[in-house]
Amino acid sequence: MTRRYPDVLDPQGTYPPTEDMLAEPVPQDVQEAQKKRLRAAWKTPQGWRYWSAVNNTEVGIWYTMTAFFFMLCAGILAVLMRTQLAVPENDFLDADRYNQFFTMHGSAMMFLFAVPMFEAISILLLPGMLGARDMPFPRLSAYGYWCFLIGGIFVFGSILFDSAPKAGWFMYPPLATKEEGIGPDIWLLGLSFIEVASIAAAVELIVGALKCRPPGMRVNIMPLYAWYVMVVGGMILFAFPPLIAGDFLFELERSFDWPFFDPVRGGDPMLWQHLFWIFGHPEVYIIFLPSIAIAAMIVPTVARTPIVGYSWIVLSAVGTGFLSFGLWVHHMFTTGLPQISLGFFSAASEAVVIPTGIQLFAFVATLMVGRVKMTLPMLWIAGALAIFVAGGLTGVMLAIVPFNWQAHDSYFVVAHLHYTLFGGMVFPVMAGVYYFFPFFRKKLLSETLGRWAFWLIFVGFNVTFLPMHLTGLKGMPRRIFTYPGSAGWDWLNMMSTVGAYITAAGFAVFVYDLLRPKAYQGQIKRNPWGGGTLEWAHDVPEEAWGNRSVPYITSRYPLWDQPKLVERMDAGRYYLPDAPEGKRETLITSVIDAKPLMVQRVTGPAWITMLAAFFTGGAFIFPTFHIYEPAIVCGAFAIVCVLYWLWTSTAQVPDQERKDVGLGLSLPTYASGPTSVGWWAVWITMLGDSTAFASLVFGFFFYWTARPDFITIGADHATGAAVALGVTLFVVSWAATVLAREVNKRSHITLARIALALAAICTAGGAGLIILSVLDLEPTTHVYPATMWALMVWLVAHSLLGVIMQLYALAGSIFGKVTPQYDADLCNVTLFWHFMVLTALVTGFILGVAPRLLA
Amino acid sequence: MNQISTEEEQEEFLEEQDSLWRLALSPTLWALHFVICYGATTVFCADHILGVDYLATLRLGIGMLTIGILAAIVWLGWGAWRQWDVVRDREWENDAGNNEDRHQFIGHAAFLLSLISAVGVIYVSLPVLLIASCA
Repeated sequence: MTRRYPDVLDPQGTYPPTEDMLAEPVPQDVQEAQKKRLRAAWKTPQGWRYWSAVNNTEVGIWYTMTAFFFMLCAGILAVLMRTQLAVPENDFLDADRYNQFFTMHGSAMMFLFAVPMFEAISILLLPGMLGARDMPFPRLSAYGYWCFLIGGIFVFGSILFDSAPKAGWFMYPPLATKEEGIGPDIWLLGLSFIEVASIAAAVELIVGALKCRPPGMRVNIMPLYAWYVMVVGGMILFAFPPLIAGDFLFELERSFDWPFFDPVRGGDPMLWQHLFWIFGHPEVYIIFLPSIAIAAMIVPTVARTPIVGYSWIVLSAVGTGFLSFGLWVHHMFTTGLPQISLGFFSAASEAVVIPTGIQLFAFVATLMVGRVKMTLPMLWIAGALAIFVAGGLTGVMLAIVPFNWQAHDSYFVVAHLHYTLFGGMVFPVMAGVYYFFPFFRKKLLSETLGRWAFWLIFVGFNVTFLPMHLTGLKGMPRRIFTYPGSAGWDWLNMMSTVGAYITAAGFAVFVYDLLRPKAYQGQIKRNPWGGGTLEWAHDVPEEAWGNRSVPYITSRYPLWDQPKLVERMDAGRYYLPDAPEGKRETLITSVIDAKPLMVQRVTGPAWITMLAAFFTGGAFIFPTFHIYEPAIVCGAFAIVCVLYWLWTSTAQVPDQERKDVGLGLSLPTYASGPTSVGWWAVWITMLGDSTAFASLVFGFFFYWTARPDFITIGADHATGAAVALGVTLFVVSWAATVLAREVNKRSHITLARIALALAAICTAGGAGLIILSVLDLEPTTHVYPATMWALMVWLVAHSLLGVIMQLYALAGSIFGKVTPQYDADLCNVTLFWHFMVLTALVTGFILGVAPRLLA
Repeated sequence: MNQISTEEEQEEFLEEQDSLWRLALSPTLWALHFVICYGATTVFCADHILGVDYLATLRLGIGMLTIGILAAIVWLGWGAWRQWDVVRDREWENDAGNNEDRHQFIGHAAFLLSLISAVGVIYVSLPVLLIASCA
């Protein structure tokens, strides 16, 4: 833990505020002057500069619209596929194009719609719900968005060039590893790129929910949406990295012929299935939970009563988050695993029904105790509950192993997954769009068109997917582009196709309603649904500052329970009502009780994030075409962009140490260690990074259990000395980094600089020795040397990052960005190195010790 | 009117760490149990590693592990139940913005999570009791 400077860095003054302080009026002219300054600080860039905006309201809207656009594109593919399947032996699409379509439909719905949509909506809504001015790292959101846009266009665009992947959205090897063309590379690299953006957004959202709540909003009164965001953010950190690790291995096989999934050379396609579904199953809940969170915001408003069973819903969110990681093998019931193993996963699949059910019952209970008004959002929620329950019931059936063997890879599964995803995601999100539209657009959507859209989609959906249960039970397999008339599936398929067209018509009505001009509406009411949570204190007409002042919260439904709240927020009676320095600021509070800790300077509009995303895109996209030089150049430029952006806008030495935030409270403007948001971001990112590393280590042990000949080849490669010395150098590097942090705090600046320089040299030496230790092995010959190389590459890539960080801290010290008092960068680098040294120790163990023990 | 002092805040931070951990402890035990069950079964059922059919040993081991983990979850759940303190004050919702309600809410949520974790552990160990073959 860091030594602190108590007199300077601790909050001083009164907290919590007293009623007398809050009741004191603010003179009108002061209010106007404050508003003027605040408006200037938060001004959205105009003209072509608009696209340099990073504010959550702008990025959130671009993000949601882009994700929605990809959903419509993927939906069009679905309609085209249904057209092909309308009649037997149809030749509307050929097999090749059909394969591209269903692969892209699944991939796009999952990676370009469902997950980004959650993050987009959260970026848009969360600051409003938390009374924060913006997310803690606006430029990171913007970077994430531009990565998503570039990656999404690249991946989806491939279908226009007839080069889309066609092995299914799960990319099973060996079908996908052997596939001709660049389809699988587009899938792997494009989507890895997007996963990076997803993880960036997850970091942003978790830190936002933990640290950017308004004073007084303790964990037991924060909006349920924030609980879900924390749970889902955590799930993304543990679910996405295994897929990234899998992609890493897969692309090494595609590009360099390292045989991870090639049984002839000791590989095993099952490893991909494990890594994919360790991601893929929690993914379903990553999609489902935030959408249910939207329901948790709508239901109390509609019922005009606080949610029933708040703690129970928190339990369900956390419990589902955990249990969903115990289910991945239920996608692999037919792969020949031991029956006992299948039993574990069947049991865990049944267990997850309990928390899922609790959430639905809590909503039903809330509706029963309240006075429900069937508003348009509620209609969509009702539809969601009906459809999701049907999908959940077939889920229970599919979790039972013998039934699963029968229904495996049939249309029954297609019906099940669409019921859960439409009921669990699409309908609640639609409800959310209707419900929150007045919040983010200051207009209302049409009641009539909304009901048309609902009934068309609801009826169309059921006409499409209900018959598929029967189609599946009658034996129609998934992913076939045509079928013989004699099979008896023709009328069922015709029905599904008609349903698909009705659904599409419903979406067309919705899109028209969304996009048509709404100027005639004039100015809408401020809180049109009568909601009780903080986002409905929003300004109408729109202001870009988020909240006029950051309120003090004492209730779960502050707008219902704290009568003068909105009036006082508007008058600038609460915290941070002013921006005298013209800087964007928000409050950082403590994790559990939301006590104010510091004032965070929030970054403003910038082009550098877009440039960074552009070069990151190059680093991922060029390798798709097997051109590596420009990719390396792009990667280097991306690093330079990110360094420039960090250097110029994060952890700046403040011009004033403390700041009066109003209501007699004075807060520090700088923090390092666990008080700062940057430290949390590093911690959370590294948790995800370690999960990816753990997946690689899992791969090693997987091969050991699956393949009797795994370690026999080259296990005694001449590594002993090189590995031992290399790992020792990494440990020295880590110790020097920690030393630098400690002596820097005690103002021994020169010693700290020497330690950092030494650390960087040791890191480089350690990386060199680890490379040397595996040079004798030939990775293309067998999976064992390939695994050793993969671990080496992972460690060396991280040590490159480690060196850059150590040098960054050194430069910071030399140029006055890091001082004994302002040492956030150094603390964050040390935190990275705690993880780094663990990675080095584990890698060393597997390279040098494990093969000798296990052979 | 209270002044924020260093001591108070550091105390709160410690309490924060404690409480967040307590919330996730029972589900973490479930996850641990799950991973050990799955990993052990894989090793015991891959006949090239141990060479013989050790299924009886596996079942005994998992049985004992299950009892141990369940005991730990019950202990955690009991602590959480007392923190929730529902019998004394009959307060189910804990929806006020004060220290006591926050404290009891965390107890309530941790108690419920212990319950679901115990159910999860029992479910996951059932196959070992019921299935007597690796095949």
